[in-house]
Amino acid sequence: MPLLRQAAIVGIGHSKFGRRTDVNLGELAFESIKQAVQDAGIDKKQIENVTVGSAGGWYEEALPAVVVNEYAGLGGVGTMRVEAACASGSAAVRSAYLSIASGEADIALAVGLEKMTEVDTLTSVELMGRAGSYLWEFENFGMTFPAYYALFAVAHMKRFGTTEEDLARVAVKAHHYASMNPLAQFQKEITIEKVLSSQVVSWPLKLYDACPLTDGSAAVVLASEDVARKLTDTPVWIKGIGVSSDSANLSKRDNYVGLAATVDASRKAYARAKVTPNDLDVATCHDCFTIAELMAYEDLGFCAKGEGAKLLKDGQTEMGGRIPVNVDGGLKAKGHPVGATGVSMMVEISKQLRGEAGRHQVPIKNGRGLVHNVGGTGHYCYVTVLSRDQ
Amino acid sequence: MTMDSEPPTLHSRRTLSLRFNVPISKTNRFWQSLKEGKFVTTKCTDCGELSFPPQADCPRCMGGNVEWVDMGTEAELVTFTHVQVTPTSFVQSDPYFVGVGRLGQGLKVLAWIEGATLEKLVPGMKLRLEARSGEDGSSYYVFVQT
Repeated sequence: MPLLRQAAIVGIGHSKFGRRTDVNLGELAFESIKQAVQDAGIDKKQIENVTVGSAGGWYEEALPAVVVNEYAGLGGVGTMRVEAACASGSAAVRSAYLSIASGEADIALAVGLEKMTEVDTLTSVELMGRAGSYLWEFENFGMTFPAYYALFAVAHMKRFGTTEEDLARVAVKAHHYASMNPLAQFQKEITIEKVLSSQVVSWPLKLYDACPLTDGSAAVVLASEDVARKLTDTPVWIKGIGVSSDSANLSKRDNYVGLAATVDASRKAYARAKVTPNDLDVATCHDCFTIAELMAYEDLGFCAKGEGAKLLKDGQTEMGGRIPVNVDGGLKAKGHPVGATGVSMMVEISKQLRGEAGRHQVPIKNGRGLVHNVGGTGHYCYVTVLSRDQ
Repeated sequence: MTMDSEPPTLHSRRTLSLRFNVPISKTNRFWQSLKEGKFVTTKCTDCGELSFPPQADCPRCMGGNVEWVDMGTEAELVTFTHVQVTPTSFVQSDPYFVGVGRLGQGLKVLAWIEGATLEKLVPGMKLRLEARSGEDGSSYYVFVQT
């Protein structure tokens, strides 16, 4: 169905990611909201609705949207919190986008937010392990988030000969680029040896194959076509969003070498935006674990199934390669504050398309970038195509 | 934010412990059979869809007529992992192996693999489902190597 109106990102904000014991939920969100409002050059009173993407459960507030809005003085707006696990941020952007595309609003705010370090680490591990089918996969078997992705890593290694070293290479790339991103949680380069010798979390995945627990926020202001043109010379247009999902029980998946939700969501997004993977200048892919990035290359159509490790090894997803991926450090090293991640990805691609990414700026030729945001273990998938040109 | 010393936080005094009463009335046949060491699941009598986990309503045709059928216990290992960092409610457990096994009729089941070692596990190997009961009388199931 054709949407009524186009919408563009006209303001971006991003907090420092990391262990943020210096701020509470409202204060953390405010860091991004203030930047986004100022970047858009609007008065906050012009914001007609606020969607907060946050999985929640690990911080003290039960109603994050109203807490965030009160702190930022956004009382009276239409608001809600949305949940799509680790894709909650993209879900929030989609909600804001639809409010504009439908004609309901001219200016909408999407905020991605998570505080994951207010509870102890193993409680966070537990909350993420329950993200699937509680009764059939957690109650008796204690699955964890790394364990779910490890099932995919083992199957991928068996079927395609992917090695632990191939996985480690993803982490090395992520830390390399994070060292160029001052907002990233990790600022130091690592080596393949360091990854391989780190503690096994859920074999074959090790500590350095996994994203960290992160506190962080990100925000984007979206505007309708007319308003966007008045506000900025560099709007970033949302050209197509594809959404899909898959079974709660991992036992119901057809295979463990890819995420069907990514394949489906990306094909929908490409069709709506009328692009192919070859038209993209840059992408953020959902690399919550190293294996996830390799599968994403394949499922998004950047290479054939089973050739993800080779694409990386050949340098094609590095800066200067065919399709640079996660040059902001990715979830793996920038950090993964679950609900903030999707919005953080939108901020990163917006910076790239505006030419404002600083040390990790890639050359922009076609003016298009991709946001790939997975919730859970392929339970949800949101793929968004952003464009410099309308 | 990297800091030399941790900023002050207020450690909440109010704690919350959650235990859920999970309804199982519509799939109780599975849990009752498990106590007898048998594995059954649901099959739609209208469209023939076989489901695991069992469910009282058919996810394919949305019909409400399901029968309970034998699942079989012979399985082939599809994939596995060794969980070494366990969640907080499993801290008493030693690290455990979890596998996905494919049963004869194509159903897949996720469960612990008992008595496994990394060296011995290979996708494609034969496994068998067996019932177990916990110290508290609860029933669960595991894969064993055949």
